[in-house]
Amino acid sequence: MGAAPQQASPDQRVAEFRKIFSRAESEVARVIVGHREVVRKMLTALFCGGHILIEGVPGLGKTLMVKAAAETLGLSFKRIQFTPDLMPSDIIGTQVLTEADGHRDFQFKPGPIFAHMVLGDEINRATPKTQSAVLEAMEEHQVTVFGTTYVLDPPYIVLATENPIELEGTYPLPEAQMDRFIFKVVMGSPKPDELREILNRTTGTAQARIQPLFEASRAPRAIEDLKALVREVMVAEPLERYIISVIGGCTPGGPGAIPEVSQYLRFGPSPRGAQALILCAKVNALLAGRVSVSYDDIEDAIVPCLRHRLLLNFQAEAESVSSESILEQVVKRLRKPRT
Amino acid sequence: MDNPVETIGIASARIARLAAIRAMLCAVAPALTAIALGALLTQIGDVTWTRLGYRLAPERGTVLSLALIGAGIVVLAAGLVMAFRAYRRANDFVAAAAELDERLDCDQEIVTFATLADPSAPESIRARRTPLFPILWRRAIALFGGLDVRREFRLEVGEPLKRSSIFAGMVALAMVLATLGLVRAPTPENTEAAKLRAIAEEIARTSASSDDSALADKIRQAADAIENSKLPPEEKKKRIEEAIREADKAAQKRNNSQSGKNQGTGKSNAQNGNGNGKSQGQGNSAGAGSGEGKSGTGAGQNPGGGSSGSGKSATGKNSGKNEGGKGSAKNDKNDQNKGDQSNLELHDELAKAEAQVETANAKNSGPANQPGEDKNQGGASQPADKTNQKGGSQPDPNRPGNIPKPGANGDRNIPAAGGKPKNNKDMGSNLGDTHLGEMPTSTNAQRFLKPGEKGATVDIRDARYVMFRLPGAPSSGNGGKTVLDTDRPTATTGYVNAPLAPTSDDAPPDERQLVPPRYRDMIH
Repeated sequence: MGAAPQQASPDQRVAEFRKIFSRAESEVARVIVGHREVVRKMLTALFCGGHILIEGVPGLGKTLMVKAAAETLGLSFKRIQFTPDLMPSDIIGTQVLTEADGHRDFQFKPGPIFAHMVLGDEINRATPKTQSAVLEAMEEHQVTVFGTTYVLDPPYIVLATENPIELEGTYPLPEAQMDRFIFKVVMGSPKPDELREILNRTTGTAQARIQPLFEASRAPRAIEDLKALVREVMVAEPLERYIISVIGGCTPGGPGAIPEVSQYLRFGPSPRGAQALILCAKVNALLAGRVSVSYDDIEDAIVPCLRHRLLLNFQAEAESVSSESILEQVVKRLRKPRT
Repeated sequence: MDNPVETIGIASARIARLAAIRAMLCAVAPALTAIALGALLTQIGDVTWTRLGYRLAPERGTVLSLALIGAGIVVLAAGLVMAFRAYRRANDFVAAAAELDERLDCDQEIVTFATLADPSAPESIRARRTPLFPILWRRAIALFGGLDVRREFRLEVGEPLKRSSIFAGMVALAMVLATLGLVRAPTPENTEAAKLRAIAEEIARTSASSDDSALADKIRQAADAIENSKLPPEEKKKRIEEAIREADKAAQKRNNSQSGKNQGTGKSNAQNGNGNGKSQGQGNSAGAGSGEGKSGTGAGQNPGGGSSGSGKSATGKNSGKNEGGKGSAKNDKNDQNKGDQSNLELHDELAKAEAQVETANAKNSGPANQPGEDKNQGGASQPADKTNQKGGSQPDPNRPGNIPKPGANGDRNIPAAGGKPKNNKDMGSNLGDTHLGEMPTSTNAQRFLKPGEKGATVDIRDARYVMFRLPGAPSSGNGGKTVLDTDRPTATTGYVNAPLAPTSDDAPPDERQLVPPRYRDMIH
């Protein structure tokens, strides 16, 4: 099993994408009960070439989920537990003095960030200095240590988790870093029947085994091909204008901004938000068997793509207005351009 | 169709055409309404005149009519411009694709395809086609498989017509408001002119002879002249007299032909021996016959009748007796009467019109009336100036139905005191005109009785109020003598302590202010 070669017909490539995506979801679902939407968004972010921020209380299976996904896709996986005393070098890596053949030399020892899938657990517990060390890696897919730049092997995805409770002693992620995550998904508590299924799976003797979709050597290339396919999906001009109007509508003082936006927001989404919308919409279109984006694909992506890019003001905090509710209002009031 | 680009192009053209038609339809109804109203304004004015008694002045009507027609044409032109703009706006490849997309529920696949396949799009747009574009092309072909553009995009006229009818209603409303603003209560000249025109129409409609047509034309000219304020009164009168002469001529001809008919009839009756010797033939209305003829006792001769008239058609008096055969006379009587009646009516109206012109002339040229004078100095026609010797101005009293009714039209031409005509109400009667003799003179209303006169006994119980004047109390001097109070105000002008002349109290008894009960016992 592997991704269709580049010479395959477009139809085959699209079919292959859907098949792989669907199978990856199924394989992860063997380990993770429920949270299908979170799994879907995680895979979407992978194929979009973005990173994902997962918010949820401890014990929901975030780490397991990422691990399962990496195993399914045959990608390397590293986990970083962010703590207040975590240093950037602990993440990126550092030069280590080594001695060989009588020669002492500094040798770069890569940190845990060097993996295809990196799980940054409770990223908001690290200091901003450490958090910012991840910035370059996330955006540029490379790190620089002592003047030497090391390229991260593609595909590369950072999956960061945030604990919404126990906020004391935490360092909320700076806006610049938040903007680098293509999605922010919220993991809720499992439903009762899901919980029962979790208990059955985890407290018995049966062990779920994941069948990898790719061989480890071929996986990165296969994933990259699928990522390229995503970018080939076409977007009509009216839909691009719609995305722009969504971004403008969420920006205080922007064109078409609704009153709630001006009232409750300090800042709106950046152009990265629009990029995220299009990429996510493209994956949605492929999953629907289309090679062109529809309004539904865009609307499906609006909340996970933009919710963490809206900076609420004090009034919104005081009135418990969430960014999701503002986004819903924006979508409801925006008119879809026909031409 | 295998080429989806062509399909979208056809759809685009059709959508553009439909948009143009819809835009045009929006303008058509108000435009046609305005034009129709403008064209039919005369008829509408006639209806207003007939039903409501108000008249749209011809010159105003013409202006309004032209304005409405002009507005209609402007709206039509605007509709054309709107249609052209709608065509250009709707003739959009991508927009047509969006329309198709929506109708076929294609999740924007057609729009995306059209965006990248638009023949008029710049090359940079086409360069955005990806290797997946062939899939999109095939999808478009599949989606257009069962598409019939004509059936998909039908001409639906309901909505534009509904919108259009709102505008049409507004136009009609504007027209009604404009008409309401322009209609006026007709002047006597208008009334006369309208009547004359109606008679002219009737004559033109019922008669086919050239004489009648000429008469109708003359009458119309007279009617136009009456209304034409620019024409001098002499000219107006001249036109009216021409019409009268034409009417007389026509009547004369009719009488001549009628008399021959009567003769023949009489003979026929004589042969049958049905005549009873006495027939009150009603003669002709033109007063053509004043002669008296006897046909003998059923001999069937008819020497009398209208044909032997003295020719004094202008007298208006026809006492002629037509003693002819009874049966045949009856048959002719109706037709003859009918013609006579209209002739009489025509003469009557023409005479009225002439009098009207004179009245107007006198009003314009005569001295201003002094209010309060007893004599009528106004411009009413003076009956003494003209003895109306012309036939038709005074209906034949011998004819049934032509008995003048006093008061019916009598007060129409009587000028009221103060120079203003007194309520010129035309009751529509053609049964005589008494304006030539009854000239009542107004009297000064007297408010006070003269000294020595006694008015009607005043019943103090019904008095509205009673004024008492108590004399001032005499003041005593030093010596106890009574002296007159010289400080008391005295009248400086002489007055007669006479009661007020009785005035008509139209107020109902309930409205009268009665003396309060507690004072009634004091009044005897």
